[in-house]
Amino acid sequence: MLFQIGDYLAGTVIGVGTALIVRVIIWPGMDMVIAMLLGIGFGTIVSLLLGYMLSPMLGIVETMIPGSLTGMYGGMLFAMRDSMAAGSRTMTAAIVVGAVFGIVVTAAMKSYNYVLRGTVMEAGD
Amino acid sequence: MDVQTQEKWDRASRTYDFFAAVDDKRLGSEKQKLLAMIRGKTLHVAAGTGNDYKFLPPGMDIVSIDISPKMLERAKIKAAGYRGAIELCEADVHKLDYPEDTFDTIVTVFTFCSVPKPIAGLRELYRVLKPGGQILMLEHVRSTAIGPLGIMMDLMTQLTRKFGPELNRDTVGNVQKAGFWLRRVENIYLDVVRTIEAIKEDV
Repeated sequence: MLFQIGDYLAGTVIGVGTALIVRVIIWPGMDMVIAMLLGIGFGTIVSLLLGYMLSPMLGIVETMIPGSLTGMYGGMLFAMRDSMAAGSRTMTAAIVVGAVFGIVVTAAMKSYNYVLRGTVMEAGD
Repeated sequence: MDVQTQEKWDRASRTYDFFAAVDDKRLGSEKQKLLAMIRGKTLHVAAGTGNDYKFLPPGMDIVSIDISPKMLERAKIKAAGYRGAIELCEADVHKLDYPEDTFDTIVTVFTFCSVPKPIAGLRELYRVLKPGGQILMLEHVRSTAIGPLGIMMDLMTQLTRKFGPELNRDTVGNVQKAGFWLRRVENIYLDVVRTIEAIKEDV
């Protein structure tokens, strides 16, 4: 149970970290392709650093997989929004969006895990 | 001996337990379930700091190898607490000093993400395994079921291989390429962490 809560907290922290770094480096009107690439790069770096710090408490695989998906793809999406000035208007709103994105990715990974877990092949199948 | 790999894991030995301890809590039951299938003379590949020993069934005859002498120094302390026989040896899985058909069981836990030449390493294990013997593996592999995750693992491997494992290995495929016959594959976490059971056919 504690690990489950910890996974969602880690997702929240990484989502917020990604949203914050994108907010700092991307400005409205920036070329969207450059913004996306920067978002992917910086989002990935932030998620790796945060995931690395959290992994001794939650496990490397369970932290890094949803975390790096949040960083890479969240970084790309947040950067697109911010470059089009279609993103959150305030820093608080950006933090909330980042947190929600991190939680959604974590929940999606848990749902995928529920579906994928179990025997894939067994001799005689 | 692959000195570069040896040095990499000697360095990693200092922080290995710090990062691996929680894995024992989250994946311990899966390790225990897998290792409960051990029978006969067993080769444990990549001893690490000996974290897997507490999941071994008691009374077994184990040879536990690692390429890193620093890892083995730490594993020695944990091996002393095992209720059975564990012989620790420094060895490179690509070239083992054991004759053909020596072991009844081979065990690997998060090993073949880090072996530089995985198919060559698995072929060497195939050589030392007795006909009818089994290989039991808990490994992390590249995701194929979740496309964006697989792409991310490919990209991240460019970084992770410099200090640790490769994240995008097709270890199930490599086991088959090395000559083993798959008995069972189970997803433990997504399709990334898997148990693989395979045998060397008795022809």
